[in-house]
Order: sequence, then C-alpha cells, then structure tokens
Amino acid sequence: MTIVKAAKTHPLYDKLVEIVSEERINDNPIIISSYSHDACHLEAERPSIVIMPETVEEIQKIVKICNDTRTAVIPAGGRNGICGACLPRVKGAVMLDMVKMDKIVTLDEDAMTVTVEAGLRWAELIHRLDEKGYKLGFRGPYGGNVGTVGGSVSINSIGYAASKFGPSTEGVVSLEVVLPDGSVITTGSGWNRDAQLFARFTSFNDITGVFLGDHGTLGVKTKVTLKIYPKAEFITYGDFGFRTLEDAVRAFHEVQKRGLTEELNLLTDRQSTDTFFPGFLDNHPEINAMFASIVQETDQQLADRKMEIIRETALEHGGKDLGNFASQMHWSELFNLVQPLYNNGFWLNTCHLRPILRVPELMKKMWEIFEKYKLLNNGIKWIASCLGAERTYATGWVTIFAPTKDKMDLALTAWNEMLDAVIATGGCPYWNGLLWEDHTLRQVDPAFLNVVHTLKRAIDPNGIMCPHVFEGVK
Amino acid sequence: MNDTRFSNVMEYEKDLWLCARCGDCSLADKIVASNREIFHPCAVKNVLGFEAYTARGRIMVINDLLAGKLELDDDLVNWAFTCTTCKNCQETCTATADGIRMAEITEALRRDLVDKGLDMPKHRIIEEYIEKEGNPYKEPREKRLELFGERQWPERAEVVYFVGCTSAYREREIAIDTVALLDKAGVDFTILPDEECCGSVMHRLGREGPFNKSAQKNIKAIEKTKAKYLITACAGCYRTWKIDIPENGHKFKFEVLHITEFLDKLISEKRIAFEAPNGIRVTYHDPCHLGRHSEVYEAPRRVIQSVKNVELVEMMTNKRYAHCCGAGGGVKSSHGELADKIAARRINEAEDTQAELLITACPFCLRGLHDGADYIKSSLRIIDIPQFLLPYVIKGVIEVSEEENPLKQEFMDYLRAHPKIFDGLKPDAVIDYIIEDDRFHVRIVKKGQIEVNPIRAENPDVELTFSEGAVRELIQIPSEDEYAARFGQFFKEPTDEKWIKFNLRRNIVKLLMKGYRKFAQKAGLI
Ligand SMILES: Cc1cc2nc3c(=O)[nH]c(=O)nc-3n(C[C@H](O)[C@H](O)[C@H](O)COP(=O)(O)OP(=O)(O)OC[C@H]3O[C@@H](n4cnc5c(N)ncnc54)[C@H](O)[C@@H]3O)c2cc1C
Ligand code: SF4
Ligand code: SF4
Repeated sequence: MTIVKAAKTHPLYDKLVEIVSEERINDNPIIISSYSHDACHLEAERPSIVIMPETVEEIQKIVKICNDTRTAVIPAGGRNGICGACLPRVKGAVMLDMVKMDKIVTLDEDAMTVTVEAGLRWAELIHRLDEKGYKLGFRGPYGGNVGTVGGSVSINSIGYAASKFGPSTEGVVSLEVVLPDGSVITTGSGWNRDAQLFARFTSFNDITGVFLGDHGTLGVKTKVTLKIYPKAEFITYGDFGFRTLEDAVRAFHEVQKRGLTEELNLLTDRQSTDTFFPGFLDNHPEINAMFASIVQETDQQLADRKMEIIRETALEHGGKDLGNFASQMHWSELFNLVQPLYNNGFWLNTCHLRPILRVPELMKKMWEIFEKYKLLNNGIKWIASCLGAERTYATGWVTIFAPTKDKMDLALTAWNEMLDAVIATGGCPYWNGLLWEDHTLRQVDPAFLNVVHTLKRAIDPNGIMCPHVFEGVK
Repeated sequence: MNDTRFSNVMEYEKDLWLCARCGDCSLADKIVASNREIFHPCAVKNVLGFEAYTARGRIMVINDLLAGKLELDDDLVNWAFTCTTCKNCQETCTATADGIRMAEITEALRRDLVDKGLDMPKHRIIEEYIEKEGNPYKEPREKRLELFGERQWPERAEVVYFVGCTSAYREREIAIDTVALLDKAGVDFTILPDEECCGSVMHRLGREGPFNKSAQKNIKAIEKTKAKYLITACAGCYRTWKIDIPENGHKFKFEVLHITEFLDKLISEKRIAFEAPNGIRVTYHDPCHLGRHSEVYEAPRRVIQSVKNVELVEMMTNKRYAHCCGAGGGVKSSHGELADKIAARRINEAEDTQAELLITACPFCLRGLHDGADYIKSSLRIIDIPQFLLPYVIKGVIEVSEEENPLKQEFMDYLRAHPKIFDGLKPDAVIDYIIEDDRFHVRIVKKGQIEVNPIRAENPDVELTFSEGAVRELIQIPSEDEYAARFGQFFKEPTDEKWIKFNLRRNIVKLLMKGYRKFAQKAGLI
C-alpha cells in the first residue's frame, strides 16, 4: 500500500510502475527528501524517483529502460555510506533502494561460501550464519547494522575483523551483476554455469575485481558470494597502553605483522581514548596511546597463547597491561560503537588506508590542525583510531564532531585541511564519493585514470550508471 | 519560500542536528551482533517500505520543511500521521543518551501543523466528540457505564478503576472482566460516575482539545473518592495519567497503576492466584504505551507466569524492542489499513512462537491485533490480560511453590549490607543480577542508599551474570574495595568456575550519565 502517493511526474514513471507495482516506486518530493543524504553532510542532486526492486529480473528491466532512454541509474544500499557515494550527480536519476533484496540465496557448506542478495545487511547476515554455526571473515563496516554487502563491496568498505581478513572486498568470491544493457553475469568460478561458486581467480582475468570498488559505475550488483569460516567461540582480549604513539605503533605493527588478531584497534592519543571510552585512562596518566586486541579462535589454548604473545610484544615495546575492558566492550558492542559518538556532534570523517608505520606522521599533522583551530576550546572533539588490516596496513579514521550548527563552518575549515594532510602523508582513501574525489583526482596518475575511464566506456557506453563518478565533483 | 515556522519542532533542534543518519532506526538487526533483540524497528517502514517513514527519513523531511524545501500540503499531512509514535526507533538509537526523540518530534510537528490549520477533517470530528460526549467514539456520554448494568458504585473506595473510552464502548469484555477480577480479589474499588476521556487521543494527534479541563474534572472526581490508587487496564490511559497529565502541571496524590502492576501486587500479597486446568503456551505483546513509554515490561510477564500450567514464550522482538501493533499514535484513525497491515505482521511474529494464545494488556492493541488477524485470516486467539486471567482464578490460600534460591538470598543480603559498592552511581541507576537463571535487582535510591528487590528489573541499565563460584567468593569479602577488585578480576580473568559477564542494556552515553564510569573504575575495569 502507499500513503504518500507518487507525483507521477518522472518521465519514466508509467513504464517503470509496470515493472514493480505502485507500492515500490515513488517520485513524491517527501519520499525523495528521505533519500537526499547518506550518513555524511555532503549534498549532490536528489534522485528524481526511487524504486525498491525485489528481483534480478526487475532490475534488468529497469536498467534496460534507463539505458534505452539514457537515464541515470544509481544503486543505493543502506545509504549509510559516509562519503555521499550513493547520491546522484545529475538530475532525473532513478535510484534503486536495494534493501528489499536481502535473502540468503545459498549457503554452500562444502565450498564454505555464502551467496546473498546484495541488499542484505552485514548484521543480519552474521545473525543468520551464527544460527548455522558459521562466521564471516571480514565482518562488516562499523555501520554494518545498516550497510549492505553490495554497498560495502562497491566502495571497498573496511572494518570489523579486517585485522585478520582485510577489507570487505577481500572476502568476495563472486558477484552477480546486472550490466548497463540489462544482461547479467556471474563472476569468479561462476563463468562455468555448472560450477559451484567456490573460487574467485579461475581461467580468465579477475572480473570480480573490476566491479569491486566501482562505486556502482559499472552495473548493479545483485548477488555477492563471500567466504565463510567455522564459528570460533574462544575469544581472548587485551588492552595495552604506551607512553608515546611511536611505541604503540611499533608494537601494533609487530602484532599485526604476525597475524594474531581478529581485530586490532589503535587509539592514537588520550583525547581519542577519552572520546571513545570516557575515563578509561584516568588511572594511567603516563599513557598517551593504546590498542585493544581481540583474538578469536576455535580452540581455547590457541586463543590464550596468541594473547600471551600479544602481551609479550606489547611489554617489549614499553607497553602497560591495561586489562581488557575496552576490548571486551569493543567486541560485544559490535555495530554499536560509533553511533554513541554522535552525541559529541555531527561527524566529519577522513577514512583512508595507510601503512601502519606512517600513522605518527599523519597524527603530527592532525594535532597541528587541531591546535591551529583550537578545536577543543570550540567544543569540537576528535577521535583518531586505526584498525589493523591484513598484514601491515591500517585504516586511518580521524573524525571531528561539530557540536552545533554554528560550529560547522569552523569544523569544515579544519576538516578540509585534514583531508589534504591525509593525502600529503601517503594516505589512500578506501572510497572516493563526494568526500574524496577531488582530492584523489588531483593526485592520480593520468594513465591509471585513463584505464578506469576506458573500462567504464567499454561496459557502460551510454554512461547511465552513476554518471560523472570519478570525473570530479566540482 | 514556504512557511518555515515550526515552533514546537524547533524545541528538538538538537536532536535534528545530532541524527547523523546511521539508519539503525530503519534497518538494524542487533539480535546477534550486540545482543539486543532489535530487528527492523520501525513497524511502519516495514509495511510501507520507503525511508520517509522511519526516524532517519522523517528527520530529513523535517529538516527540508524547516529549510522551506517542501510544500505544506495534504501529502505532508498524510505522511505526518503515519508514525505510530511507538518509540522503537528511539530505543534503538544510540546517538544520544535518550536516543533521538522521534515520537515527541512527530507530536510536535502535528501540533505545528494543526496550528497552521493543516490537519485531517476526521481528527476535528474526534475532537468535537470528545468535547461534547467525553469520548472519541461518537457515543453518548450516558452510555459510558451501561456495560456494568444496574450496578451502583460506592462514593468512596481505596481504588478507582478508570475504565477508559475503548473498554467502555468497544472492548467491553476487558472492563467487565477487570471488574470481575477485582471483585474476586475482594478489592475495595469504585468507578467514576462521569469519567471523561483521559485525553490520550487528542495528545497523540497534536491537538489540545479539552485535555486540561477533562484532567481536572477527572482528578477532582477521583480525589473525592479518597482513593489511594487509580488503576487502568488501558495502556494509553496509563501513559496519559502517568506522564502527560503530570507533565501538563496537574498534581494529584493517588498512585497510578496499570492493572498488571496492581495484579502483580495482589499476587505477591497472596490475595489472588491463578491456575489453568491444562498446559497452555502463550506469548505476550508489549503495548508501546505500557512498555517503551512507561517502562512496564516485567509486571505483565510476572502475572502471566504466575498462572500455573502456563508457559510464556517470547516473540522475536519483545520488551524494549517489541514491534508496535500499529494502532497507536492516531494511525488507526488516520490510516486504518496501514494499522491492520502492521498488526498482521505482529500476528505473524506471534504465530512463529507456536503459542496458542497471544495476550496483550491494552484494549487498543487488542482491537488492532484482532483486526490484523482478520486481515490475514489468522486463527490465532488474541486476548487481553484480564480476560485471560478471569477463568483461572483459584480459591483459597495460595501456596508458593517456588523455593527461594538461598545463594540469591545471601547475595542480596550481602549487597544490602554493602551499599558503598554502588558509590558513584546516580539515583535511579538500576542493575539486574543474574545467578543460576534467577534474578534480582539493585536500584540506587540516593547516595549510600540502595534498594535490593528480589525480582527482575523493569528496564535495567546493565545486566550482570555471575557464576555460582564467583558469588560464593564475593559474599565472603568484608570490604567494598576488595569486593570491587575481585569483581574486576572475575570479569577480566574469568575461569570456568568464577566468572562475571556484562550485558549493557543502555547505550554508553546514558551509562556515563548515570555514573557507571566511577563504578567501572572502582572495580578496576578501567
Ligand atoms: C555508524 C557508522 C559507522 C561506519 N563505519 C564504517 C567503517 O568502519 N568502515 C567503513 O568502510 N565504512 C563505515 N561506515 C560507512 C558505511 O557503513 C559503509 O560505507 C557501508 O559499506 C555502506 O554500505 P551501504 O549499503 O549503506 O552503501 P551506500 O551508502 O548505500 O552506497 C555506497 C556505494 O555503493 C553503491 N552501491 C550500493 N549498492 C550497490 C549495488 N547493489 N550495486 C552496485 N553499487 C551499489 C552506491 O551507488 C554507492 O556508490 C560507517 C557508517 C556509519 C553510519
Ligand atoms: S535517529 Fe538515531 S538511529 Fe536513526 S538515523 Fe538518526 S542517529 Fe541513527
Ligand atoms: S516512533 Fe515508531 S512508527 Fe514512528 S518513526 Fe519511530 S519506529 Fe517508526
């Protein structure tokens, strides 16, 4: 049923409504308003019509009509991205709200893969796998209550359990994609119609990789096949504090290098720890940086021994054992850790990747910016945290919070300098979106970009999928 | 530029700023990941699909309204009356200590719309009837007590039973059975000869109507009876009496209790007891106004579980995160079919438990759920709590079959003797203790004073589960400081015999506000 009726002014309304029925298509400005942002402050064009598809066939038909009429198509997942990636850059766009496509299609217990519809959210996937005795590798971005598998792998999201398994995209075995002409392909071992979806790299180029991180520019992902693992019930935790960030980073690097942890989270200064876990360091005045480590194994002895090694490594680097409250809370509040920080104000993020040993260089620049704009005096708090990722790189999540609307201008000024500092110190954002695109385009090798654009022209000659993405915002 | 003055909404400016659109209120599944029973909290979005119906979407729409980017038209009014004000989004939201207050923002918006002359004609008619006849059902005032026949009500009594419009005119069985139950328990009670609508309907629709006048009239009439308690079997009336009437500046001395709280009291005083002849499996739907709005979750469950041979099974979403039945917040009167569809989904949830009976504690929910069941032709039996209980009342002295767990008793005694353990926690902080599947809770009354209650808390901040070995050791420790240190050790270095587990039931911001930082520091946790 519908309460807010469609305005029916979109030129394709009559054709599209035949595909999905009135309940799942709407171009009323009230409905559109609720798709005007993702979870960041940035704005672009609004979609002109929103459709909630339920099947691959529906998407094929929609995309075909859009291709025939050169109409922009924007796939959107949970719209909890934080770079504005799911917002159209052109007027008249058709947005596909994918969240109704949330089924588990196959759980292949022999090949140890799970195939899900692209609109399924990480938290629900974990819930369903847990019931069957399995876990995922990469476990979802911190916004994984709402972030979808399809959205995440389209923008290289990274987060929980990246320490052991790397970013979301590392866990992908195969994709089903509706191409801009309406045809469908299955990548990985799926090229063989009789094969199970068990491997990503077989017989041809890695076509899966072409679509991963494409920001929806090459097609609509309709299914994603991910690696799964036996549920691991034995968990050990450890929090370690250090006098200097440099000491903390060296220890963190060592632990991450040895691949001991499921999750490894560095908080780079006292302010960040206090923003995340208020009061945590009150009894440790000498500590300036800390990390929380989580080991998860199928065997208790293994979990215990790994934590012992982490502890030894931390102590060798001058670390102090702080117990394990922070890491226990960190892990038990899965997908609920970041939202309480909103209480500090609206967030401005700088998410990116960097080699672990280049974290101090970044923080030096960040502290200068915080000082220059007297952020704390203006009630603008920050958090700077790094998640260990597969071998020796880390996320750099330096975020500031504008407590009220009137502090937003100041916060934005500081934030823009922070973005420059990230790139200047060798950072590579996980995603582009409205947030990063101009910064990355300034830095990118033209030959590299040319390949990206050539791929786009080859797969989407009419340029209907997320037009103008990777071409610059301004 | 459209009219952008929304003075009532502007009181929530901070909420509108702090919502960073994470979308939890729309799509969260926190069943495994963070051990809360949340699943797609917004019952309205679950039916209508689009984001505009969730708190996240509503905030975007409202921010557009404030910026003059949307028309104030019929579509907008229709949309504004789709929120059941169930508060599930707020419970789910961890962005602020209380969560973003969408239900209140919705009511504020409705007040602004009504002020601008933008409302639904049917709401105007409801208001007229309440003004004229004291009820929203277009029924004559004189017929309000017709359901009780010729019975005469005493002028004075210990208890006043506030019937409410829905039980008086529509779900009459509830009123009749409530009266019968009170009679069986020998309660000294009466009913007001000219009860007025409590005002809930008007409030939820953003209208003032005769709210204050009726409240004053009702209070005067109740005080005349010298009653100590005002009881109601309607969750909507209960919320209005418990929250809205006092918030509007009305003062009264009597205590307001929901029928389930009152029965819980009678059961614990051994004044009434129940037994079903054969085993029966039931489930319970939390009315939003009783649960999330007033934090009464356990009393109805204790009452149901007090019935011998009854097994209570929970639905996938329950208590704080229970899906709404769809009838509240003016949705039933504004968009009847939407309410039915939401209720139908709740019926499906109840059916999934394989219960024979779905029990609720509100005439409005009862009606909504019945309509939902009809909508999908479900044969699930749905019943309100007084109706459920009445046939099972048993006579004579009630034997308490459950033996108190001695360890629980010792632990409670120990904590009573060591209130300093809780130093630093603010008044009204509540901790639930779980040992061997048995529960009790500690409530901080004021500095140095605690209350230890042998039952599960209605809405605890934190749940602490202890192994038997940990409790046995803890209760031997003479000093509070040493207790705290050992407590911390059992958490940080658990062994198979001695361990403690935490479950945070509120978000971190709220816990900090309640003083849990000090508590954790003292226990050496941080
Ligand atoms: C509280 C919170 C915490 C967060 N923490 C993290 C974190 O730790 N790590 C992290 O990486 N991110 C984080 N984020 C951001 C967000 O969780 C991730 O970016 C997430 O992966 C977004 O998924 P989505 O489904 O919401 O994608 P959307 O925002 O809807 O879309 C993202 C992009 O994917 C494209 N897309 C979506 N679905 C499809 C599809 N089916 N086919 C093709 N293209 C598609 C869109 O066009 C867009 O370009 C956080 C966000 C919040 C609110
Ligand atoms: S209301 Fe709360 S839960 Fe909903 S989007 Fe806003 S911050 Fe998130
Ligand atoms: S109060 Fe209930 S119906 Fe209204 S937006 Fe929140 S969850 Fe949805």
